[in-house]
Amino acid sequence: MDEVGLSFFAELFAHTFGFWWVIIPAIFLGLIVGAIPGFSAANTIIILLPLTLAMGEEIGLVFMVALYCSSRMGAGIPAILVNIPGTAGAAATPLDGYPMTKQGKGPQALAISFVSSTFGGLLTTIVVLFVMPYVAQVVYYLHSVEMIVVMLFGISLIATIAARDTLKGLIAGFFGLMIGAIGADHVYATPRGTLGFLELYDGVPLIPALVGLFAISEAFLIIEGESILSKKGQVLMRDAKWAETFEGAREALKRWWHIVWTSLIGLVIGVVPGAGAAIASFVAYQQSKTFSKTPELYGTGHVEGLVAPESANNGVTSGTLVPLLVIGIPGGATAAIMLVVLQFHGTTVGPDLFIQKPLLAYGVFSSMAVTYVLMILTVFPLARYMSRVTMVSTVYIAPVIISFTLVGSFVPRAYVFDMYLALAFGVIGYIARKTGYHVAAILIGVILGPLLEQYFLRALKMSKGDIMVIFSSNIGNVLWVCLLLSLAVPYLKERHRKRSAARDALRRGEEAELGGTTE
Amino acid sequence: MSVEPSPDGPGKKSLGPDLIIPVGAVLFTLYYFSTIIDSPWTAQVSAFFVGAILLLLSFVFLAVTGLRVARGQADLRMDGLLAPRSVALRRLALFALTLSYIFFIDRLGFTITTFLFIFLGMFLLSGWQRAKKRLILALSAVLSVGGYLLFVVAFQRRFPEGPFEQLFKALVASTGGG
Repeated sequence: MDEVGLSFFAELFAHTFGFWWVIIPAIFLGLIVGAIPGFSAANTIIILLPLTLAMGEEIGLVFMVALYCSSRMGAGIPAILVNIPGTAGAAATPLDGYPMTKQGKGPQALAISFVSSTFGGLLTTIVVLFVMPYVAQVVYYLHSVEMIVVMLFGISLIATIAARDTLKGLIAGFFGLMIGAIGADHVYATPRGTLGFLELYDGVPLIPALVGLFAISEAFLIIEGESILSKKGQVLMRDAKWAETFEGAREALKRWWHIVWTSLIGLVIGVVPGAGAAIASFVAYQQSKTFSKTPELYGTGHVEGLVAPESANNGVTSGTLVPLLVIGIPGGATAAIMLVVLQFHGTTVGPDLFIQKPLLAYGVFSSMAVTYVLMILTVFPLARYMSRVTMVSTVYIAPVIISFTLVGSFVPRAYVFDMYLALAFGVIGYIARKTGYHVAAILIGVILGPLLEQYFLRALKMSKGDIMVIFSSNIGNVLWVCLLLSLAVPYLKERHRKRSAARDALRRGEEAELGGTTE
Repeated sequence: MSVEPSPDGPGKKSLGPDLIIPVGAVLFTLYYFSTIIDSPWTAQVSAFFVGAILLLLSFVFLAVTGLRVARGQADLRMDGLLAPRSVALRRLALFALTLSYIFFIDRLGFTITTFLFIFLGMFLLSGWQRAKKRLILALSAVLSVGGYLLFVVAFQRRFPEGPFEQLFKALVASTGGG
């Protein structure tokens, strides 16, 4: 480790740039698979495993890392343009990205997303290179009790952010958790809530849930108009030039500090195995809104509301690889596949990796950094042309969305049942959207349901069935207080705002009355 | 529905659709509890914890809604769930078409079913008179065949197979590609 200095990093980056011929195709492939629900980076890497293993350790790893990074960015593209996140990690992106698109600011929104993603990802990658061993310590402080609170915290945050009505948001989140609990239990394999379907014994598959809640419901909603754009938006999009794309980049760069701290939130959450990009992007969004001078603009197409989740979910990308390389615990599905590839080549991950194979260990992050640099050059020019998709009439878009995303839900398990399931989630999503229960809250619940149960069981096993174990940890108790505050503060602030508004109105009325009397 | 005022009076909201999710959540939770009532505690504990909170939240919501209805601020009409009315029929037809798509994809395969679905779906949404027939035909053909080539041939994904896929495979095999 002592030999690792600036000259080492300079040499490492120069060496990694030499793999541009692997990185650029991986970037485009990642953008495609990230943008289509059901085609995640992890699945694609698995499909291409024979190719990756044949490539050799270093090239294979560079390829996987580049695909991983660009797929994260790719997931934000349909989220912004048609309100359909490519993966759950982009579920917070449409909150402000899609309203921007509807206003005819598609090129700006994509440019903001690209800039935030690349700079957020690049920054966290560089940070990780220097502070990796310290960041990895986070894992040691979070045990099952703390993770239970983290999960509930995640749900409550999403409930307060995504839905206009907190009660509706909480119902949606807990309904999602209940749906996520469907399936055989982990110990005795007792089927629970499966409605008699064998296909649900393994739990509710996530892709049909994502496809149904976001894509199918959206397709049934967009047919209400001829275009997804507003009238003004159509005019703006018709006249859109390169200037709009650069304006988006400028808007994002002006908020560089926002990119910095929200991507660092993503990094820290990414280090926690299982927490993932979905939670990170919502936490970043909520924090961004809390500290904003204009919180009322969030959800209406606000730049900061798009910068925060996009920076954070790319921060997660670097974070998930930290526990893999430092302590040998993969932080997510893609990291787990990388572990398999490394083991295939006889490499044991863990602290020794940085001493025995520093070029490989640090090379993972240098290839990530190089990927982000090349992504700016290759992806940014596409923003203007990609956003043109919003000009297409909904008459053509809706059937294409339905057919291709439904087939996407078939892909992971090859069950036609999953397509019916996606349609059922589509109906739930449609009702939720029409009535103000945000679909993102339901989806996050479905994702966290099985994880929450695992942590619950672990905590109860350790405490011999004592339910009070959930209040037994200091960190956990601090998180409980934060959870309650996150629910109470928005309510109290809203109450205070209403009272102030009522007081102001009363004062204005009295002044007007007084003025009238004087005259 | 919360966003649309009821025709009964200004400011009176139709909250019927808002109750679908909480009522559905209550029914599902009770059904879920019925499936775990005789299970070991490991299968119950998390579900009882989450389910109890969900029931509590749903009952609070139902009580608040009931109170608003009792005060005359809202009613329980189901207006708005399928609104606007001009699209309601097309939306239901598209739903029926989607159900048929899933039913037939296992029998006719991805390419043919997708072609038919996109073709009929675009016709349905644009209306027979206004439909650009040649464009719709071309789009349906290009998207279904393109989808097959991209996802099945290039990405090697398992899509439902039918006559077209089998014919394509046979052709590839006969030319020595398979």
